[in-house]
Amino acid sequence: MSRKPWHLHRRTFLRGAGATLALPFLECMGASAKTLPRPKRFCSIYFPYGVSLPRKKDDSAKWQWFPDAVGRDYRFNESLKCLEPLREHLSILGGLSHPHGRKIGGHDSADIFLTAAELKGGQLKNSVSIDQLMAAQLGDDTRFRSLSLSVDGGVGEATRSSTLSFSRSGQPVPALHNPRVVFNRLFGKEDRSLEDQRQELQNSENMLDLVLDHSKSVRRKLGKQDQNKFDEYLQSVRQIEQRVERSERWLDVPKPQVNAAGLHLDADDKTPGELIKTMLDLMYLAIQTDSTRFLTYQMGNMNGATSIATKFPSLLGFGKNQHTLAHGWNKPRGAEALGKWDRFRAQQLSYFLQRLQDTPELDGTLLDHTMVLYGSSNSNTHNNTNYPLVVAGGDELGLKHGGYHRFGSDVPLSNLFVTMMNRLGMPTKNFVDSTGEITELIA
Amino acid sequence: MSFTQILTLPLTILWSVSACSGAIDFPSQVLPVLEEHCFKCHDERKQKGKLRLDTLSPDLLKNRIAAETWHDVRDALNLGEMPPEEEPELSREKRQVLVGWVNQEIDALIEAKKGTGGRVVLRRLNRSEYQNTMRDLLGIEHNYVKDFPPESLSEDGFRNDGSTLQISDLQMEYYLKAAREGLRKAIVLGPKPKVIREEFTKTVKDKNRGSNILDKDQQFIVKLMEYPEEGEVIIRTTVRAEQAENRGYPQLRAAIGYRADVQAPREFIKSQDVVSEDWQEFEFRSRIENFPLPSKTQSKFPGLLVWLDNAYAEGRDKPLKARGNGKKQKQTEGPLTYPQIEVQSMEFIGPVFEQWPPKHHTALIAPRKSGENEAAHVSKILTKFMSRAFRRPVDRSETLPYLKFYQSIRPTLTSLEEAMQETFAMILISPDFLYLVEPSSETKRPLNDWEMASRLSYFLWSTMPDTQLFKLAREKKLRNPKVLQAEIERMISDERSWQFIEQFADQWLDLGAVQRVAVNPNYYPKFDDALKTAMRQESLHFFEEIFQKDLSALNFIDSKFTMLNEPLAKHYGLTGPRGSSFERVDLNTKDHRGGILTHGSILLGNSTGEDSHPVKRAVWIRERLLDDPPSDPPPNVPNLDSTNPDFANLSVRDQLAAHREEASCKDCHRGIDPWGIPMESYGGDGLWRDKILREKTKGKGMNKLPVETETTLPDGHEIGNIADLKSYLLENRKDQFARAFTSKLLTYALGRRLEITDEKDVEGLTGKFIANNFRIKPLIQLVVASETFQTK
Repeated sequence: MSRKPWHLHRRTFLRGAGATLALPFLECMGASAKTLPRPKRFCSIYFPYGVSLPRKKDDSAKWQWFPDAVGRDYRFNESLKCLEPLREHLSILGGLSHPHGRKIGGHDSADIFLTAAELKGGQLKNSVSIDQLMAAQLGDDTRFRSLSLSVDGGVGEATRSSTLSFSRSGQPVPALHNPRVVFNRLFGKEDRSLEDQRQELQNSENMLDLVLDHSKSVRRKLGKQDQNKFDEYLQSVRQIEQRVERSERWLDVPKPQVNAAGLHLDADDKTPGELIKTMLDLMYLAIQTDSTRFLTYQMGNMNGATSIATKFPSLLGFGKNQHTLAHGWNKPRGAEALGKWDRFRAQQLSYFLQRLQDTPELDGTLLDHTMVLYGSSNSNTHNNTNYPLVVAGGDELGLKHGGYHRFGSDVPLSNLFVTMMNRLGMPTKNFVDSTGEITELIA
Repeated sequence: MSFTQILTLPLTILWSVSACSGAIDFPSQVLPVLEEHCFKCHDERKQKGKLRLDTLSPDLLKNRIAAETWHDVRDALNLGEMPPEEEPELSREKRQVLVGWVNQEIDALIEAKKGTGGRVVLRRLNRSEYQNTMRDLLGIEHNYVKDFPPESLSEDGFRNDGSTLQISDLQMEYYLKAAREGLRKAIVLGPKPKVIREEFTKTVKDKNRGSNILDKDQQFIVKLMEYPEEGEVIIRTTVRAEQAENRGYPQLRAAIGYRADVQAPREFIKSQDVVSEDWQEFEFRSRIENFPLPSKTQSKFPGLLVWLDNAYAEGRDKPLKARGNGKKQKQTEGPLTYPQIEVQSMEFIGPVFEQWPPKHHTALIAPRKSGENEAAHVSKILTKFMSRAFRRPVDRSETLPYLKFYQSIRPTLTSLEEAMQETFAMILISPDFLYLVEPSSETKRPLNDWEMASRLSYFLWSTMPDTQLFKLAREKKLRNPKVLQAEIERMISDERSWQFIEQFADQWLDLGAVQRVAVNPNYYPKFDDALKTAMRQESLHFFEEIFQKDLSALNFIDSKFTMLNEPLAKHYGLTGPRGSSFERVDLNTKDHRGGILTHGSILLGNSTGEDSHPVKRAVWIRERLLDDPPSDPPPNVPNLDSTNPDFANLSVRDQLAAHREEASCKDCHRGIDPWGIPMESYGGDGLWRDKILREKTKGKGMNKLPVETETTLPDGHEIGNIADLKSYLLENRKDQFARAFTSKLLTYALGRRLEITDEKDVEGLTGKFIANNFRIKPLIQLVVASETFQTK
């Protein structure tokens, strides 16, 4: 990686990021916006169990998640109304889904939201998610290649994964779930001197080399089945070697200084409102400080039996747990109750998008350089078609917004992924089952 | 459906019938019966229960998935679940053909796979095992796993399944970090530190909170301007209790932190009951680094604060809504309503060590003998540490790379100790430490003594072997049955066996479920969230009592006792102990308690937080007690649409009945719902009830619906209430329960899913478990003695 000369200065200037902040670096550097490389980012936020979709044209109709008419002149219904101020920077997409997802269980589809894979065989093997694919190609310029977050953390179980990100070999990438751990990774300060840290990283590099050598001899002694399992370990050692090298390269660049006051780093599953907001704040800060450009956040998965997010709506006063609420999507009172929960989630999105939009970057805003994909892999609960989706941002990267578009079942969601990857500067013809691009979104 | 399923009595009989009759032929004998009775619902037109039989391979040997499916088919036949009641009955002869054929094929499969089937998979230490192992290896109490991502659950609900436990670079990063953190504590640098010792008799005044009397809100707070930043510290205090009538004992708790104005950052050391009203000394020990310390560079909150407070829980964790207006109610006169603690003095001492360098240091780094050169010294240190970390002897060729690493970094560091910290860190990220490595070839082999020691200790202690196990392994005595038996007894009576209970019982019974349910204060205004922890503890201590006292495991189904502490007994409305620790409490019939089904952990964990959840409770029984989990719901479950406008006003039982009217739900739910209905007498809070509360659909307030518990189980048994259900389980399902318990224990002991090839082992162990009056200790002996446990 060649470090851009302005990186260092820019990071040095970032201050008090919890509050609003104007980036002074342009003036200081005397650079013109045109000569600076444009950061290109992707971020995905997922929620489980779909949305409220009442069919009747009575009182409950206003809680229908999708707008009533397509095109540029659509009107938001209640649950997405909070997105109105950002309308010109986002698109609502209806009718899309992953064809492979239509064949699997109603609660099994979160795993493939960003992979479009066919979960096959007893092993339910997945394939690479777009954030990881993008990060592999474009993630060299930041301290962290990517950042995967979720409410439950870790990897969970196949079909109930607690992460949206999957590596190129289809292995789930563990998500972080504790705000303090995320904060410390991104912005935590080391007590020790640079020299000590450098020494430690060099030691790490040496020891990983030696461990890898030694591991190969361990592998030879194992049975076949165990060797396959052991390869996960070897793979991890190789990956962490790369990570250590990366840390060494970034050692001289101080971590961005961020004001932690106002961040609820101790929020946990008992205080879901603060937890979700804090995670979104941390994502915002990661983007604003250019610590990473590829982020995913799973706001709960569809494992009603083990996800700690199941109880969130009950704790936040929405009456029922997440799954029970979702079952009300077409009932008179149920549609309203779920609609209010949909609105709460959209408000979190709106808060996040607005922060990105309020922060200038180059000749635009952070949002202009960040494609945000928000949605679920259920339309209503158990139904793996017609995903409710919002695509926002990326105006400066070549996306065009302002409309509500509906697609037939012949258009796979992968077409959106191809569209995004091409706009990010990753020439892409196909992704899994794609058939082309979504031209409606291309500027 | 899982294939490690139940074998009821009739099946055992059928098995032996098939074993002695001649071979059953698939095309000429089995296929015609399938065509006549099964294909109607399970072929290309329909696949009820996601099952298709006409294309299912009859070659169980080559097709593993087919083998598992046939196994499920057999169990469904044996349980009388298939064919369903509305279809023509299967004659005894035809049933024998089907079941006999499956058994015959499974037998052949077991025989063929004898050498290779059912192998224990390479397994890494899970979170808890890693935590315990690091603590025991380094001799330092520290939270090594606080940053680790949570662990995945296997399909059977266990966290120690080798194939489910994955690893990633993120984990490697945290392993390395945790190792370095731990080693910096375990291996000390520099001269003996100064010991700070200060005694206090008066609290600091902090707004209204500082006091020598500790009640609900008052704390004893002291400030130290000089304090250690590393090492173990002791807080010693002399206090007495002032008991309140009809209340539990006050609980003394210590905390260290640096800000008095907010709750955080500070952390607690666990609390202790104060029973005596006479002056008495208490001691708290912890490592100072486990607490938030004032930053060296900021001066806003100078000094270290040490608190004592009264953690008596009542009302502390109640939902805000139910706590009232939040105003303090000062007690002025009259009898005490909240138990208090009076503090006479508090002493802070730290760091404490019995010698310098401390024992945990010299245990890792033995002092250099005179005349010994550095290389020999280091080599010795490495060999000793590596053989403990790898849980087996290591030879020179293995220590060599580590010695080289040591030598390469030694010149860059000032001391041997620093270089050792790094070298040990390398040992702690190597696969031999992180995994239970058992070399193997194509065919099975017996474990060696070292592997045996590790399997035993991770099974019964969730940690590494101790000195004695290592000693026996070195002497090659562990495979001697008598020695082994005595070791198991020793291990069970050792306090580390609590780690087995905490792991196995928690995962088998899914006690974590209580934390996933939010209790709605509109329904349960008195519910205090601290009870959730107590409920989990009740079940763990109940398991411990049955296990350690060698009682029958049938106590899980029904018992004349349970284990309670003061808050939980009060919640249940029972007379129990006065303190916070759990004690055995005998039960009467009118208490409506007894057996795990009446534990708050199960009742609340399988509720909505407002009401019971009979379907979840039913699934829990089938999954956990009978090992017969229903299959997952199909992709597009139709909505329970309220065609009936009064649906919301129906009782749960009637709602479920309406549910079963729907053809698509009926197939599965008639086998599920009836198990949960008898438990309707218990609300979401785990309490006995005679009315069900439900918020009115229109207007405010609650409707009161009657509790209805009568139901008919899938096999036709009429059940009137929870007592009926328990006696039915004891009379008709105790063998199935025995088998379920055996399967779960074996799964956990092996750290892998059971396969068809384990069938005979499960069968044999179950029989002996029953013959031994369902006692867990002998079952553990048998599991360890089994060939499958002792081979790789």
